[in-house]
Amino acid sequence: MPREHLLKIGVSGIRGVVGEFLTPALACAFGQAFGTYVGRGTVVVGRDTRSTGPMLQHAVQCGLLSTGCEIVDAGVLPTPTIQMYTAASRAVGGIALTASHNPPEYNALKLFNSQGLFFNQYERTELIDLYHQSSFTEAENRLIRRVRSESEAPRRLHFYRVLRHVDVDRIRARRFRVALDAVNGAGSVMTPAFLDEQLNCNLTAMSIDPNQPFPREAEPKPETLGQIAELVRKTGSEIGFAQDPDGDRLAVIDENGDILDNDDVLALAVDAALERLPGDVVVNLTTSAVIDDIAAAHGRKVFRTPVGEANVVERMQAVGAAIGGEGSSGGIIFPSVHLCRDSYSGMAMFLGRMAATGLTISQLVARLPRYYRRIGKVAYQHGRLGPLMQSLEDEFPDAVMDKTDGLKLIWPDRWIHVRSSNTEPVLRYSVETKAEDTMQALYNRLSDKLAS
Amino acid sequence: MVQKALRISQVGLRGVVGAGLTATHVIEFASAFGTLIENGRPILLGRDPRASGVMMREGVAAALLACGHEVIDLGIASSPVIQHAIRRMEAAGGISITASHNTAEWNALKFFGPRGTYLSTAESGELLDIYHLRKFRYCDWTGNGRLRSHSGAVDEYLSELAEVFDLDRLKSLRVVVDCCNGTSAPILRRLNERFGFNLVLINEKLEGAQFAHDPLISSDTIGLQLAPLVRPLGADVGFGFDVDSDRIGIAAETGEPASEEMILPLIADWLLPRHSGKIVITNLSTTRLVEDVAGRHGGRVLRVPVGRQATIDALSAYRPEQIAVAGEGSGAVMMPQFEFIYDGIASMLAILSLLQERKQPLSAILAQYPRYFMSKGEVPLTSTRIPELLASLQEQFSDGKMDRTDGLRVDWPDRWFHVRVSQTEPIVRVICEQSGEPPVALFEQLLEAVRTG
Repeated sequence: MPREHLLKIGVSGIRGVVGEFLTPALACAFGQAFGTYVGRGTVVVGRDTRSTGPMLQHAVQCGLLSTGCEIVDAGVLPTPTIQMYTAASRAVGGIALTASHNPPEYNALKLFNSQGLFFNQYERTELIDLYHQSSFTEAENRLIRRVRSESEAPRRLHFYRVLRHVDVDRIRARRFRVALDAVNGAGSVMTPAFLDEQLNCNLTAMSIDPNQPFPREAEPKPETLGQIAELVRKTGSEIGFAQDPDGDRLAVIDENGDILDNDDVLALAVDAALERLPGDVVVNLTTSAVIDDIAAAHGRKVFRTPVGEANVVERMQAVGAAIGGEGSSGGIIFPSVHLCRDSYSGMAMFLGRMAATGLTISQLVARLPRYYRRIGKVAYQHGRLGPLMQSLEDEFPDAVMDKTDGLKLIWPDRWIHVRSSNTEPVLRYSVETKAEDTMQALYNRLSDKLAS
Repeated sequence: MVQKALRISQVGLRGVVGAGLTATHVIEFASAFGTLIENGRPILLGRDPRASGVMMREGVAAALLACGHEVIDLGIASSPVIQHAIRRMEAAGGISITASHNTAEWNALKFFGPRGTYLSTAESGELLDIYHLRKFRYCDWTGNGRLRSHSGAVDEYLSELAEVFDLDRLKSLRVVVDCCNGTSAPILRRLNERFGFNLVLINEKLEGAQFAHDPLISSDTIGLQLAPLVRPLGADVGFGFDVDSDRIGIAAETGEPASEEMILPLIADWLLPRHSGKIVITNLSTTRLVEDVAGRHGGRVLRVPVGRQATIDALSAYRPEQIAVAGEGSGAVMMPQFEFIYDGIASMLAILSLLQERKQPLSAILAQYPRYFMSKGEVPLTSTRIPELLASLQEQFSDGKMDRTDGLRVDWPDRWFHVRVSQTEPIVRVICEQSGEPPVALFEQLLEAVRTG
């Protein structure tokens, strides 16, 4: 039976369809739990451009203020900007109101600690327990603090953090022709300023009105990026960028209007980072083996984690990684800027690479090792997951197994990964092979097995 | 049983923030209001300077936006300023975040309907039902409202006052005002700047954490800081405001604080001869001087139970032009010229108009009134004993004229008493008044009777 998760309160925070399910009272209570957990101090609050954002922001701020926190209202800003500002100011935590790449009827709270990072899983469990216990700190009148607005300083900070890692003069001198699709999201105002004013690009931008709804599906994936690809071709741009509503994910379009595979985007970013910096690489289990090849070429290690930005970040912090990310979802995490998914680091790295090598994007992609990938999803029923995974193990007895997130089966020249989604009642699966002809057969075999 | 400081009733939501009144109460009560009010026109929002007001504004804004309302935030604004703005801006209603005359740790939500009027008993009942049911009409993502700020409400309000009062003739009076760190301060400053008034303001800094003194208007609080300044400053009169500027107290030019009971008679004295309306509405606990003043001008007094709601309901039974004034002994007065809104600034201007017109000092005007002495007391009481208490009082004082519409009031030709249960605290209030001399014996007898039940 198909179920929709219209409201989910869990270790990753709170996310749901606003109105009937995600109510102001719920958001306020989460604000209270958060304020109680981080203690009295300043909390940075910002949001993406969703129409439900102001309502939820007021509700969260009501909850935070009631626990004695002071608030910096950062207004509409990308999530990575909010994270960086949380870390740089003397805040005890930060909250971004955004459902990231989810459809417009959804919204969510992303919660950050004083370093502007996701809480680790133990902290997240404590926070959710606090929420369920509903015993919140209640500040009396004389301990209640104010709300102050600040959106310019976070923006300036973000630009500064990113731009010190690229050769700005070299990029500016090239005056790249760039096309942008900001999905009318949090990057609508900030990204044109970044590309045009900071990096002197010859910019053609679409969907940069923060007061309009998302004109396309919010997740920047090949199926949804027809218009920006067209814009790249029409304007003869050398590169196209597409953001998601909260500006953490990035899709890249080459000079021919072809949309890059997200794993290749990450691979090029990894290559650029390892060229300049020491340190290893962390990616999730579903990310392509192309990352292993790149890392090996630089003599570095690759660590694999369960799917989810928080998991990747946690491991990156533990191993002091130079770069990381999640190929499948278009997220580049460059810790020299900040330990978070950041489309601005990605944009700067790509322009920097083009400036340094003199190559086009399609030429850069052509130099990457080639793999063949396909992803799929299938609805499943609770209670059937265990036997299903068991039968997969039996089906492929010769593979190396990794069970840290669902089941990943690995051979020297191919792998498959099956896991249940954190957000929907579906199984997601991926197949990757070195040889083009074996991919489809393996994919079909797996699909049939999962459908049975 | 330990009682937390929280009261949810037809008057609205009121409590000590952090010790009873929580963020959740605010969101849910405002959601009930957002559900009660039809969508289409904006809802106005304002607050007094209490620190907790910002927290409550956030909650109220979230709830109203979620219910699909456009919200206009007037910032720090008195209840009357909000109420007049509702009418002027053709808003659907409004919320004032203020605990009015309570100390700083309290806060409350006051609800207004279209034209800035208080909710009727029926509407308040419905609001409370929606709150208890917790079935709120939240919109989906396409319907959320937007919030914007409006900063001109005080000036617009003053322009309206200038149409009713001859401000030019009042500005020469020398007046000292105790703002109690509340919302009257910015209004009165503008009165000085824009209309050349000569108001000396004390406690005019807006304070969030603590007020200069108890904001409850009485001759005691007037006597603390305001009254001693009147003579040294050579002022004609002194006024004290509560935090949301809906009621006032007064001190004469002699430096003597007058009882807050004097405000309604003074304003009635000014209004009755100027108006066709001859009905004065007041509650059962207010001084009998109201009858004397009304009698002089051919008016009559309608006595109603204590509490704003009873007054509102009584008002709705008459045409506005039949009514001269309505108010209570606490110093809160509303006038027909202002849509019957409790308004301290308008009350002050009315009394200044009286002084200006009579060309007499306030002490002389007060001296012309029959002299009454009032004693007020309160006794904590268990709710279950109240019916028997009232029955026994009735028996004990059976020689007087009885009124049982709100507890028990008994009248004799030269004195009266009123015993009633407070709506806001678990106490019994005892009030008695006598002409000529203090009602010492009667008061003692009553307190004893109430204590022993």
